[in-house]
Amino acid sequence: MAAPELAQTDPEGIEGVRMTWLKWPRSKVEASKCVIPIAASIQPIRPHVDLQILPYAPLRCKTCSSVLNPFCRVDFTALIWICPFCFQRNQFPPHYSSLSQTNVPAELYPNYPSVEYVLHNYQQNYQNPAVAATPASPIYLFVLDTCMIEEELSFAKSALNRAIGMLPENAMVGFISYGTQVQVHELGFSEMSKVYVFRGSKELSKDQVLEQLGIGVSSARRQGIQKGGGGGPSPVAGAGPVSGITRFLLPASDCEYTLNTLLDELSTDQWPVAPGNRALRCTGVALSVAAGLLGASMAGTGARIIALVGGPCTEGPGAIVSKDLSDPVRSHKDLDKDAAPFFKKAVHFYDELGKQLVSQGHVLDVFASALDQVGIAEMKVAIEKTGGLVVLAESFGHSVFKDSFKQIFENGEQSLGLSFNGSLEINCSKDIKVQGIIGPCTSLDKKGPAVASTVIGQGNTTAWKMCGLDKNTCLTVFFDVSSSEKSDPAGMSPELYIQFLTSYQSSDGQMRLRVTTVSRQWVDSTLGNEDLIQGFDQEVAAVVVARLASYKMEMEEGFDATRWIDRNLIRLCSKFGDYRKDDPTSFTLNPCFSLFPQFMFNLRRSQFVQVFNNSPDETAYFRILLNRETISNAAVMIQPSLISYALNTLPGPALLDVQSIAADRILLLDSYFSVVIFHGMTVAQWRNMGYQNQPEHVGFAYLLQAPQDDAQLIIRERFPVPRLVVCDQHGSQARFLLAKLNPSATYSNQHEIMNAGSDIIFTDDVSLQVFIDHLQRLAVQAS
Amino acid sequence: MATPGGPRPRNFPPNYNPNALANNLQNLQVSQPNQQHSSNLGGNAPRPPNTTPFGQQPPSFAGSRPGPPPPGVFPRGPVPPSVQAQTTLPPNMVSTRPTGPPMGSQPPPPFASRPPPPGALPSSIGGHSALGSRPGPFSSSPLPSGPSAPSYTNTSGPVGNGPPAFASGMIQNGPRFPPGVGSMPRPAVGPPQSPTLLSSGPSSHPPQMRPGFGGLNSGASSTMGQPGPPFSGPPQNMPPPLGSMPFSAPVPGMLQSSGSPYGMQTWPPHPQQMVPPPPTAGPMQQQPMFGMPPPPPLPNQSMALSQTGQSKIDPNQIPRLAPSSTVILHETRQENQANPPPPATSDYIVKDTGNCSPRYMRCTINQIPCTVDLLSTSAMQLALLVQPLALSHPSEEPIQVVDFGESGPVRCSRCKGYINPFMKFIDQGRRFICNLCGFTDETPRDYHCNLGPDGRRRDAYERPELCRGTVEFVASKEYMVRDPMPAVFFFLIDVSMNAIQTGATAAACSAINQVIADLPDGPQTMVGIATFDSTVHFYSLKRALQQPLMLIVPDIQDVYTPLQSDVIVQLAECRQHLEILLESIPSMFQNNRTADSAFGAAVKAAFLSMKSTGGKLLVFQSVLPSVGIGSLSSREAEGRSNASAGEKEALKLLQPVDKTLKTMAIEFAEYQVCVDLFITTQTYVDIASLSVVPRTTGGQVYYYYPFSALCDSAKLYNDLRWNVTRPQGFEAVMRVRCSQGIQVQEYSGNFCKRIPTDVDLPAIDCDKTIMVSLKHDDKLQEGSECAFQCALLYTTVYGQRRIRVSTLSLSCTNTLSNMFRSADLDTQFACILKQAANEIPSAPPAQVRDQATNVCINILFAYRKFCATVSSNGQLILPEALRLLPLYALALLKSNGLRSDGRLDDRSFWINHVSPLPTPLVIPLVYPRMIAIHDLEEKASDDSVIPTTIPLLSENLTDEGIYLLENGEDCLIYVASSVDPNILQQMFGISSVEEISNQFILQQYDNSLSKKLNAIVNEIRRQRSSYLRLRLCRKGDSSGMLFFSYMVEDKTPSGLSYVEFLVHIHRLIQTKMA
Repeated sequence: MAAPELAQTDPEGIEGVRMTWLKWPRSKVEASKCVIPIAASIQPIRPHVDLQILPYAPLRCKTCSSVLNPFCRVDFTALIWICPFCFQRNQFPPHYSSLSQTNVPAELYPNYPSVEYVLHNYQQNYQNPAVAATPASPIYLFVLDTCMIEEELSFAKSALNRAIGMLPENAMVGFISYGTQVQVHELGFSEMSKVYVFRGSKELSKDQVLEQLGIGVSSARRQGIQKGGGGGPSPVAGAGPVSGITRFLLPASDCEYTLNTLLDELSTDQWPVAPGNRALRCTGVALSVAAGLLGASMAGTGARIIALVGGPCTEGPGAIVSKDLSDPVRSHKDLDKDAAPFFKKAVHFYDELGKQLVSQGHVLDVFASALDQVGIAEMKVAIEKTGGLVVLAESFGHSVFKDSFKQIFENGEQSLGLSFNGSLEINCSKDIKVQGIIGPCTSLDKKGPAVASTVIGQGNTTAWKMCGLDKNTCLTVFFDVSSSEKSDPAGMSPELYIQFLTSYQSSDGQMRLRVTTVSRQWVDSTLGNEDLIQGFDQEVAAVVVARLASYKMEMEEGFDATRWIDRNLIRLCSKFGDYRKDDPTSFTLNPCFSLFPQFMFNLRRSQFVQVFNNSPDETAYFRILLNRETISNAAVMIQPSLISYALNTLPGPALLDVQSIAADRILLLDSYFSVVIFHGMTVAQWRNMGYQNQPEHVGFAYLLQAPQDDAQLIIRERFPVPRLVVCDQHGSQARFLLAKLNPSATYSNQHEIMNAGSDIIFTDDVSLQVFIDHLQRLAVQAS
Repeated sequence: MATPGGPRPRNFPPNYNPNALANNLQNLQVSQPNQQHSSNLGGNAPRPPNTTPFGQQPPSFAGSRPGPPPPGVFPRGPVPPSVQAQTTLPPNMVSTRPTGPPMGSQPPPPFASRPPPPGALPSSIGGHSALGSRPGPFSSSPLPSGPSAPSYTNTSGPVGNGPPAFASGMIQNGPRFPPGVGSMPRPAVGPPQSPTLLSSGPSSHPPQMRPGFGGLNSGASSTMGQPGPPFSGPPQNMPPPLGSMPFSAPVPGMLQSSGSPYGMQTWPPHPQQMVPPPPTAGPMQQQPMFGMPPPPPLPNQSMALSQTGQSKIDPNQIPRLAPSSTVILHETRQENQANPPPPATSDYIVKDTGNCSPRYMRCTINQIPCTVDLLSTSAMQLALLVQPLALSHPSEEPIQVVDFGESGPVRCSRCKGYINPFMKFIDQGRRFICNLCGFTDETPRDYHCNLGPDGRRRDAYERPELCRGTVEFVASKEYMVRDPMPAVFFFLIDVSMNAIQTGATAAACSAINQVIADLPDGPQTMVGIATFDSTVHFYSLKRALQQPLMLIVPDIQDVYTPLQSDVIVQLAECRQHLEILLESIPSMFQNNRTADSAFGAAVKAAFLSMKSTGGKLLVFQSVLPSVGIGSLSSREAEGRSNASAGEKEALKLLQPVDKTLKTMAIEFAEYQVCVDLFITTQTYVDIASLSVVPRTTGGQVYYYYPFSALCDSAKLYNDLRWNVTRPQGFEAVMRVRCSQGIQVQEYSGNFCKRIPTDVDLPAIDCDKTIMVSLKHDDKLQEGSECAFQCALLYTTVYGQRRIRVSTLSLSCTNTLSNMFRSADLDTQFACILKQAANEIPSAPPAQVRDQATNVCINILFAYRKFCATVSSNGQLILPEALRLLPLYALALLKSNGLRSDGRLDDRSFWINHVSPLPTPLVIPLVYPRMIAIHDLEEKASDDSVIPTTIPLLSENLTDEGIYLLENGEDCLIYVASSVDPNILQQMFGISSVEEISNQFILQQYDNSLSKKLNAIVNEIRRQRSSYLRLRLCRKGDSSGMLFFSYMVEDKTPSGLSYVEFLVHIHRLIQTKMA
């Protein structure tokens, strides 16, 4: 990364919050002049070594129900605390009586802006005391596509086998396979393998699914009549209306053998595929059956549907393409021209499915492995709303799938920290409004004074649901400053407060509440830009712009992202640059902004804006990850990092420019989705000649090894696992690198620049230099 | 015959014997009567003068009459004839000779045994051999008893010379007969050819009947005779007819049996029958029948009953069914004329000499009226009963298969009729005239053959299609829209709570498990299985799986098949899985608490999985379908509570509740899926609605109510076994073509009709009959022949595509009396029955009953008015051929279907049961066969396994008796109140009547009585191709009521007695006359 200033080790800190502006303009007008919106990127459950876990319940403000925090004013004698948000005076309860200046609880420590409470029977206890005592085991419902070739299926099956072996013993497991029809396997049936079969072409409501599985309301109404499972053990008495579900979901320890046998016998879908046709695959129905099945589980139980999809849905609701192979799967162009007849319907279907899952608090994860598209673009809405994971690979045998899939089930250090049933609440000072959130969550439609009139992403609320979240999950909150300028300027404090309350069920089943309270300062921009400029976080700003651009591209018809980015950049530059009017050469930019134009340059060229190079599925995939990943990861997506390795020098960052290519270097490019190790021509030749194996050239061996090791470091840290591309200069795979480099050398200017061992890129795209030149020109002339 | 007439008084005894025993008696020589007999027989004999023929004939006769019992159905060809002969004897004997003791004891065993050995078919084959064989049998065990019996009959007292005598006697007698009889018959009947007449059959019966009743024949007869006067008509008529006209209706009064008249006739017939086989059978009877040649002969008439006579009418003397016990040898054409078929219920062996066997197709009238006016005057209806795959007699020639190669069978290019013996080749054989449409076609070049001097093709006798009434063509590609389908059997089993708890599921599974071994072998046989309660459970039987995979289809509103393949698998591949599965199903579901049944959905789902091939879907259902597609409500209960709603509402309950199932069924049929329903229930299941499915798809309903796992499992297994093993075909299409002037009006039976001319049969088997009603669209030429051709295109269980073509060519007549003479009682009654059954759901019971009665009355009236020569007011005159019509009509009125007090399901089942019912089973259904079994030891051994039948009159039941009654479906054993406990112990293993329980299983104990009973029951089962539901009945409870409800000749609160009914009819006819 070319930004040493930003290389702080932990920019998020214990708060897990980064904002575009550290200091906020006072008024709406001022805010809009800042061009880059006021937004915070939060990682609600980011682990931190200093995080305090408090084993007691939080104290809440009587009126605004914000939680006691270090920014409260405390009257130690009267045992009263004053809420910084609503200024309500609250009495400490008796058990805080020992409170004193020298004896304050952790939540009042100023250096613990984030604390986490463990909730015991919190909220649930009055509903279901019995259950709350023992946290419900998480449910893993596997949904496996069987419409694929034998080899792919065996890869998928072995991945599942391994996964099942890794599940915690108490995890509940269910299994659904599907092809032309959906087969729900009743794992609890001992006599023989037993499956419920649903037709792939018919949309089913949750109630229908439950009724047909014999665990519905209606069957419960029929007084203990347990259908279908005639032979099975009689229902466990007293297990409530959902007893039947135990036929389908069993503890991993109980059903591992059953599942393994079942997987052994599972074959590819038997329904014939007519020549010239795609296999009939009913992904949509399979997922809605899965969702329906989970609907019978206990409220509040964490559950994920883990779908392994091997191709496009062609049957029933959620179909994305006709079964006729001569109809290609929709492309961006089709979407643009409204020539994708299935798209809207499918999106609507998945939207509904997402809503259902959200209401149940369950997660949809999709692992798609196919050479063609499988419909991630349509499923995106359901995945994002539930906070699900998604991995796109080209084969179930590929490490992108295999290793990512494995990661889900890993424990300890490697664990993703998958949690369930998260919900986020935001309390903020007066005059601050919340426009919405971009990221993997769903609005809970909780209205309040802090709700802004304009909406971005999941808005119109101050509370959101995150069915699934993990330690990397990141949300972007957009704020608005209320225009109530006149509101008693005298009493106006220079501080603003925002409190994020995240409750969730951790992977070990505990209910937690993370309280993060941040304080920022108001600035009066009429006094000059200096304060604002100093508080600008370029990296966050770039990511926020990227997320916002992606969002607008999806939401606004005919939105021209490139123009929008350019215009914003120009406005920003004209506002915060130093220049003499109409003199481009005089233009300079404060270091706090210096990287931003380059980010924008790369964003313009990235897969997020230049979608036509990708399929809609890929675009959707990229965007999902852009929205849910941390700032630094997202920044890498926008502007990859490039490290250069050469003999006799230390590895070091290289310019993301074609000129960084040299015959005797190895480049390591990390563009998040792929990691490219690029051997210069000479290096490749040496390697091919086997010098690395000769003892006298051990240095070369190290040179070859170094980028590999670094790549592995990156890969190990990341979910989804990036694709590792190892290539040589002029090799076909080299395109993965070239596509990301600044085309400072192209066929049009190669003669000027060409130096030995370098390369050129065949493109008409402008280079960064040209871009900057234009920017300067435009920035200074703008009025 | 003059002799016969004279002899009567004395003759009777002898006569009877002769007829029945024919051969035996002759053999015996013992009694004088024999000679007479012989003379009678002789009638036939005349032609056969040869000794050999006789030999042959006798057996055949024997066969024909007794036939029904033993040989009829099962025994192998060889056996039957001989057996029959013997069997015949006993019955006759018994009948004639009232003397129970001697007869009974000895004869039974021997006879029984005999049958088998004689096996050799005398009829067709050399007579000698046949004869030879007989002796053998006799000699074995029977000899002693057998002979004695016959002798008795003849002489009266004498016993036991038997054995040796027989053999010799037979032969000797044989020759004799010819002379005596010969003269008789010939004169009477112009054309001796047509041998067996219906009349003959019946006539013989009467005698038998008597014995049973009266106990003392002679005594009875004499007495009878006296009462006879009332019948005045008969006696007078009788003598003359007998003398001059063989057939003329016998006079009841005269004869011992009221039936005497019949009896009289019978006699002649018997002989004739006996004779006929070889040459042309009895002349006498023939005459009437064939009427044609002998112009004058009067049609057969029967006696009239004067009203006044009523009180005096002896019930024993009125017309009754009497099964003949000999095997009749029947040639379908003789002297280039159609030969009227023997009664459908008799035992006969057919030689196909141009017309198809009556087993495959019979017409209500064996001479076709030339004009529609004539037909309507007669009040009879013109219809065919077609049973294209009927079982043949084992000793009949198998149907020949003709392969025309790629080009397919030769057909008329206009009407598409198939080549048959009646196509006339002209122009040196270069062209042929279609006998159906009259069009002249070019003979295909490679089919050309020169004509012989007789105008027939020289190769006519070498090509089955030119000399046989029934042939089977190998279908060429042109007849296939797809490859012939494999034999697919899909079993669908109810596993809802009720089915499990009553053991129905277990019974079904075990039955299927046993039947698997009997399914046709080979790669063409595929099976599938599914169970259902409120969901449908399929099982994947793929071999690769370690165990079957259960696939549940839960959406019962909109079902589907859970797999494209692997649900239906080749039997060879899944036998093991299937067995394991069937064993585990009952236990797997033993705790099932689902009371609902998704029958409609299950059937539909199973259908969907069979859709690509078609096949047989066998459904085992135990409760009223309550959920899913086609679910039904308990209409019966609603109906009951709604009783006041009136008849219309009541009728609705006999109709399907809606069209859902019908629509489904039509779709099934379209994809060649045939549904058979096995209903094992304790409750109302709305058969009226359910049965639509099997009915439309060519299947049938089996009904076990109330189901008992204990008693009904065996029947379930046997029914299932027969269902899958009987001769059958799939994806069939049938069409009947008629000569110009006649056309098909309507088909009726179990099938699906999509276009008016064809009948679609997803499956057809040997037990399915289709009624084809005909109508005139033009006049026919007297002297010409009218042909009917039934073509059935089907796929065999081994996957061959075949066309079975049966052609029947009948002469046309302008004479009403000919029509009456050639009327076929069984067929006519079958039509009446089926029509009535069709009417039941749509007309009030009273109306249906009236209609049935009216049909009967109109026919008799027409006869009375236009044909009867004697017109005394006091007489009820019945056409000989139809003389039992009133009895059957009465029985019909009292049958389950027409009784309005029956359970709804019983009635619906009856209606459905009747629809495809083969002609031979129609009469037993309404007029069951009843025999006494308490005295098996005494009378047993006559000839047939099955003792003489007893008329269905409760007077005939004694307090010490045990009676067995069967109608082809149920078998009731009635134990009277003071039966000898010894007998009870021996037969049923119980010591008193009180121990009789509802759950009865027939067991074989180690005593002869029990063995005999078992033998009888087994024989009946064989004859009926049905295992029969056995039930023990005793007086004073519902079982007894049930039994007595079958006594159709009794007077009941809701119905007349037979005598009253005759009087009633007579009165109505008189009213009409007036």
